[in-house]
Amino acid sequence: MSVASDSSPVHSSSSDDLAAFLETELDSDSDSDSSSESFPIEAAEVAVVDVSSNHRLKRQKLEHPEDETENVASVTFSEEISEASSSKSPCEHPGTFGNMCFVCGQKVEVTGVSFGYIHKGFKLQQDEVTRLRDIDMKALQSQRKLCLVLDLDHTLLNTTVLRDLRPEEEYLKSHTHSLQDVSGGDIFMLEFMHMMTKLRPFVHSFLKEASKMFVLYIYTMGDRPYARQMAKLLDPKGEYFGERIISRDDGTVKHQKSLDVVLGQEKAVLILDDTENAWPGHRDNLIVIERYHFFASSCKQFDHRFQSLSQLKSDESEPEGVLSAVLKVLKQTHSLFFQDGGEDLSSRDVRSLLKQVRKEILEGCKVVFSRVFPTKTQAEDHPLWRVAEGLGATCATEVDASVTHVVAMDVGTEKVRWAIREKKFVVHRGWIDAANYLWKKQPEEKFGLEQLKKQGADDLTVEK
Amino acid sequence: MFFHIVLERNMQLHPRFFGRNLRENLVSKLMKDVEGTCSGRHGFVVAITGIESVGKGLIRDGTAFVTFPVKYQCVVFRPFKGEILEAVVTLVNKMGFFAEAGPVQIFVSKHLIPDDMEFQAGDMPNYTTSDGSVKIQKECEVRLKIIGTRVDATEIFCVGTIKDDFLGVINDPAAAA
Repeated sequence: MSVASDSSPVHSSSSDDLAAFLETELDSDSDSDSSSESFPIEAAEVAVVDVSSNHRLKRQKLEHPEDETENVASVTFSEEISEASSSKSPCEHPGTFGNMCFVCGQKVEVTGVSFGYIHKGFKLQQDEVTRLRDIDMKALQSQRKLCLVLDLDHTLLNTTVLRDLRPEEEYLKSHTHSLQDVSGGDIFMLEFMHMMTKLRPFVHSFLKEASKMFVLYIYTMGDRPYARQMAKLLDPKGEYFGERIISRDDGTVKHQKSLDVVLGQEKAVLILDDTENAWPGHRDNLIVIERYHFFASSCKQFDHRFQSLSQLKSDESEPEGVLSAVLKVLKQTHSLFFQDGGEDLSSRDVRSLLKQVRKEILEGCKVVFSRVFPTKTQAEDHPLWRVAEGLGATCATEVDASVTHVVAMDVGTEKVRWAIREKKFVVHRGWIDAANYLWKKQPEEKFGLEQLKKQGADDLTVEK
Repeated sequence: MFFHIVLERNMQLHPRFFGRNLRENLVSKLMKDVEGTCSGRHGFVVAITGIESVGKGLIRDGTAFVTFPVKYQCVVFRPFKGEILEAVVTLVNKMGFFAEAGPVQIFVSKHLIPDDMEFQAGDMPNYTTSDGSVKIQKECEVRLKIIGTRVDATEIFCVGTIKDDFLGVINDPAAAA
C-alpha cells in the first residue's frame, strides 16, 4: 500500500500557492523511493484548496477523511514504513538477469559466473554462489545426498555421426529404438542431428540407483542442443537431471571443465568422466572411467587399432561392466560420508574418502617395477608408481622378501627371474591400470607376461 | 502495458512486386518484417492494426529497389519499471522463479519473495508458505511488480518482485479445488 507522501503542512494563505506547491511536491515524490513521512495535513488547509480540475488534489482530498480518523494509526504506520525503507542496506547486487541486478533492478557491471544453463542471461556473483552452496549443503545433508557430475560422451553413451558409420555397422540402423518412447531403448537414430547414439549397458539402472544417493548433473563438451537431446534419451521424465544440464556453452574456460558452475560444495561433489585432462583443477573429485567405444568412429578418434564393440557385434556386460563397478564405488563413498549419521558432516570431505576407498584396492601388495621406467628418470616420480601408491600398494625399487608382485614388460630381467624362483606374481603394467579403472584387484593370471607376448607389446588393451 | 501507436518504417520493395498489387505486397511485407519483433523504444510489436499512409517511393541509386516510407498503426507491448503484471511461472529453482508474460521473461529472485515462503525441491519444485496455504509452482499465475527492464535486440528481460502487498499467486491450476 502506498502512503501518499507529502511534506509538512504548508501554512499558506493563498490556495493557488498551495495548489502549485502540492503539485510540485507530488510530481517529485512519485518517482522517488525515499522514506515517506506522515502527512498530518490539517483539515482546514485541505478545505481551503480549490477543487480545481487537478486530479491529484482531488485524490488528496479523498484520502484525507480516512486520515483524520486514523491519524494516530497512520503516523505510526508511516513511521514503520520509513524505518523499513531506511534500514534497507545498499543492495549488494548478488546477481544479474540481463544486466540488471535482480534485487534492486539497477543496471550493474556484469561480473560473476554465468549460469546460462539455468536461464539465458542469468549471472551470479561469487558471494551469492558461496551462499547458495552453503544452503545447498544443508539441504543435501538432510536428504543424505551428495552431488555427482556426469560426463556424456564415452562415459554414459557413445555417439557417432551418421556419415562415419562403417559398412559393417549398417546393421545397427535396423536395431534402433523409437524416439517416441525412449524407456528401455539403448540405441537411437537422431536423423535431425545426423547422429546415432548408443547408451552404455547398465546406464538406466545406474542412473536410478545413483539418483537415490546423489543429485545428478550432466557436464558435457557438446553444445547445448546436443546435451538437452541426450538428457531426453537418458532421462525422459526429467526426474534425474532437471535443469542441471551443463554444456560447453556454459563453461567458463574453453576446453576445460570446472566446478564453478556447479551449485554444490566442492567437498561434496564427485565427478565421473573418461578424460582426466578435462578437469585440471578437480583431479581429487574425479573418478576416471574407461572409455566406451561402441562405434568404429570412436576408436578411430582415439587412434586405437582394436575393433569397436559394434564391429565385434558384442557389448559390455551389464552386471560386470564398468558402470556397475563404478556404482559400487559410489555407494561405498556415499556410505562412508554419511556413516554414523547425524554428527558433524561439515568436516567430511568426499575427496579424502575417495582416496580412502581407492587405497583399499591394492592394499597389502608390495610392488617392484622392472624395466618399466626409463632408467634416467626417478622411479618415484613416474605416473605408474603414483597410481600404484594411490591404489594402496607399497612400491619399492629393490626386491626383498616382502615383495608380492613384480611388474615387468619383459621376461628376461633379473627381477622377473627372482620372482619366478620365489613364486611371486609377475604381471605387466596392465594389471595396475585395470585395478585403477575397475576399482578392484584383478586376478594376476590374466596379466601374465605370456599374454603380453601373444598380443604384441604395443597393444595393451585392458582385459575385462 | 499495451499501447496503440503509430510507427514509421522505410520499406524496400523489389520491382517484381510492382503493379496492381503494389500496396498489398507492401503491406504484407511490412507485416512479415515487423510483427513479432522487438525494439528498445517501443517494445514488442504484437500486431499491425492499420496503415495510416504510404509515402512516395524513392528509387535507390545503383539498384532497382524502391524505398517507401510507411506509417502504420500497431499494438505494442512494453513493460515498465513499477508496473504490475500477471505472469505464468515457467521455472522454479532455489534462486527464485522465472515467469513469462507474453514475450517477456521475468525473473523473481528469492530475495524478493516473502520470507515465509520456503523452497521445496522435488520433481515439482515450488515455494510454499509455512502453513502450506500458498504454493508457487510451474504453470501458476502470479501477480508481480516489475522493478527493472532490459531490452535486447530480440527479447525483453525483466526483474520482478512479489514482496509487496497484493502480489503473489492469483491462481494455481494444479492445486486441488
